Amino acid sequence: MTTTDIGARPVIDELIDGPTVLSITEEAWISLVGEDEVLVPIPGELPADVVSSWVDVVGPWTGSVVLTTSRRTAEDLSRALLRESAPEVLEEEDVVDAFGEIANVVGGSVKAVLPGHSALSLPSVGTAPEIRNPADVCRIDVLWRGEPIVISVQGALPALPPHSTTP
Amino acid sequence: MKILIADDSRVMRQIVIRTLRQAGYDDHDIVEAEDGADALAKVSSEKPDLVLSDWNMPNMTGIECLEALRNSGSTVPFGFVTSEGSAEMRDKAANAGALFLIAKPFTADTFTEHLDGVIA
Repeated sequence: MTTTDIGARPVIDELIDGPTVLSITEEAWISLVGEDEVLVPIPGELPADVVSSWVDVVGPWTGSVVLTTSRRTAEDLSRALLRESAPEVLEEEDVVDAFGEIANVVGGSVKAVLPGHSALSLPSVGTAPEIRNPADVCRIDVLWRGEPIVISVQGALPALPPHSTTP
Repeated sequence: MKILIADDSRVMRQIVIRTLRQAGYDDHDIVEAEDGADALAKVSSEKPDLVLSDWNMPNMTGIECLEALRNSGSTVPFGFVTSEGSAEMRDKAANAGALFLIAKPFTADTFTEHLDGVIA
């Protein structure tokens, strides 16, 4: 059920759509990863060993903007961001910094298109926040250099009960 | 010219330095700060000619740093490079005395657009 039925808080599909999230992500990629770096909007199968980076948005809509990919791809992304200043052996700290910064830039742009005043958190990297309400998720799947990446704009709150408007 | 770059992300500081070079501003001294408090201290000790600062940082945010600078009488030219690009944030930045706000993601052209006339 969406909140349109009960006239309460909005779910993400009412505020942003997949093509907008894709366009925001593509712009971040061109700026951060490289001008020639292409995202192909095709789903791929994520491996078991994944890592996520995200920022939280708190406002009229509250949730997280989450990027999830394999650890290997997160490292490749970090190298792409660092370019010539990438160390021979990447530290965990470098991946947390670089992968987190991508979530920060994508999340900042998502926040900018949401209505009203929202606050943006500092980025986190680790195991993604759980999806609390499957109806409050806008997810896109892309391939970067053939590797799958999932971008999920997901609400932090559980679905409202169906009769929440009755006293 | 000395430019102070404040961002809690080392990667983002590198990207800002790289983009400055790509925009043609490659002959300047760069000083880095890892949060607003560090930037505030380095404006005193390093006397930069321009501060390029992130907004959301631990310890002290960019806007808190700018307000502290202006309250202490510093008139150092200050611009934001931040993922906070909404109209509300731009107004807040301008009211606090920022010269410009460059929203991430940016390109070398965005830098040129905002920095021409600011960087000698």
